Amino acid sequence: MTATIPGPAARAPVAGSADWVPTPVTDLFVHEGPLLLRHLGEPVDLAHHQARRGPLPTPDLAALVTLVTDAAVRGRGGAGFPLARKLTTAARGRRRPVVVVNAAEGEPDSCKDSALLRTAPHLVLDGAAVVARALGAGEVHVVTGADRTDTTRAARAAVAERDDRSVRWSHRVAPPRFVSGQARAVVELLEGRDGLPVTAWQPEAVSGLRGRPTLLSNTETFAHVAVLVRGGADAYASFGTVDEPGTTLLTVSRRLPAAGLPTDAGVGTDGGVVADGGPEARVVEVAHGTPFVDVLHPAELAGPVLLGGYHGTWVEGDVLADLPVSAGELRRRGLALGAGVVLPLGPDACPVRATAAVTTFLAGESAGRCGPCVNGLPALADAVRRLAEGEDTRPRLRELCGLLPSRGACAHPDGTTRLVRTLLEHLGRRVHAHLDGSCPRVSGVGGAR
Amino acid sequence: MSRVRHDGVALAVDWPACRARGLCAELLPEQISLDEWGYPVVHGPVPPALRDHAVGAVRACPHRALRVVAPPPT
Repeated sequence: MTATIPGPAARAPVAGSADWVPTPVTDLFVHEGPLLLRHLGEPVDLAHHQARRGPLPTPDLAALVTLVTDAAVRGRGGAGFPLARKLTTAARGRRRPVVVVNAAEGEPDSCKDSALLRTAPHLVLDGAAVVARALGAGEVHVVTGADRTDTTRAARAAVAERDDRSVRWSHRVAPPRFVSGQARAVVELLEGRDGLPVTAWQPEAVSGLRGRPTLLSNTETFAHVAVLVRGGADAYASFGTVDEPGTTLLTVSRRLPAAGLPTDAGVGTDGGVVADGGPEARVVEVAHGTPFVDVLHPAELAGPVLLGGYHGTWVEGDVLADLPVSAGELRRRGLALGAGVVLPLGPDACPVRATAAVTTFLAGESAGRCGPCVNGLPALADAVRRLAEGEDTRPRLRELCGLLPSRGACAHPDGTTRLVRTLLEHLGRRVHAHLDGSCPRVSGVGGAR
Repeated sequence: MSRVRHDGVALAVDWPACRARGLCAELLPEQISLDEWGYPVVHGPVPPALRDHAVGAVRACPHRALRVVAPPPT
């Protein structure tokens, strides 16, 4: 598959003049995978899709719940909520449920939802149609991010092709914001408001869009449903582990600010492993349980890795190497896979500078509605920047990391403090080295000024 | 063994609505303190003895940003 997108290679701008801001990924490589990312490079229209994948079974609710229970399918947007429970909750309501496919993908480095919608859009929509039929839902809404123009175009074209009986399809575009993909923000957008997070007094599956039970899940979740109903739970479980059957999509991106890894736009790969000068981002489908050493290049494991994206957790590459791609196993070790974004920093780069740049960006991405976020994230970013400049602000950082979580309409403060907290807890030795001046400094690139 | 049950409550803040007026912390200092920007920090579920004060704090909020909710499962 050549999903290499034309356009200038996006590089982190040299800091010193302005704050670092991530640019859209322009150099993406999508690898062929065992279940979801198959038939890459072939036409993606509905007729070709149906010819390749065969007819779509439409199990009733009980059969679908059994299937996704046996396959232990969890939401792939980051929270990892069991799909079976979401289905039964949505079905229990008195009103007719609605289905929402969340492809807003507000995290700039996440490309897996884009990759799916551009290489197998009807696999995603098949899964949504199956869920809608099982729930008796009459409408499916697909939400893509405004900054993902090719993905938005692909979703719109695929939605226009659908001929499912008794399902009305709609496609909406979310504003290009980090928090746009948050579930309540998506519901707000679909209700005609600004698409910003608001307080959720009940789960969306109980009361979501216009008060209806709303089965809202990430793009990838629906693709897994489509694979499952066609192939069955046993075939699905021929990949992965007993506890976590099947596969998951990861985006590996070398675009962290101050990263010390080469990103040569347009350079190909040798199939499984990306060469040293690989594309700036790649999407891979891996079986659960695969050790990270089989997923990442040695250079990518030679330094710290930010696992789970900007809201994720720092971990030393040599620790990560032996850990499996498993949401449960990683959680037990205080790590988070999130929406599957893996950001290696490289061996000769400074994680304090990278964290300062990312935290500054995240503070600016606050929707500006909740006091602790509006005030707390700039304070947090300021303290990380001062840490990068050599001032020991660790007590202040620990104080803010204790103060900010669970105090907002969405988890933006929680995710941002997770990034900073794991810098101190998991990369403490490097932070110490940064403060005593023995930190590797890479030619002034990064967010610290 | 059945555990002793009482109708405990918890307090939840509607964060986008909260404007840091601070009345809740004045009326229920046992359960609510203010952070350095004046926004409430809620400390745990409300013990039964303070239930009426909690309801009073909810009623006093000028932005209706404080609610009594069922306590989170333990």
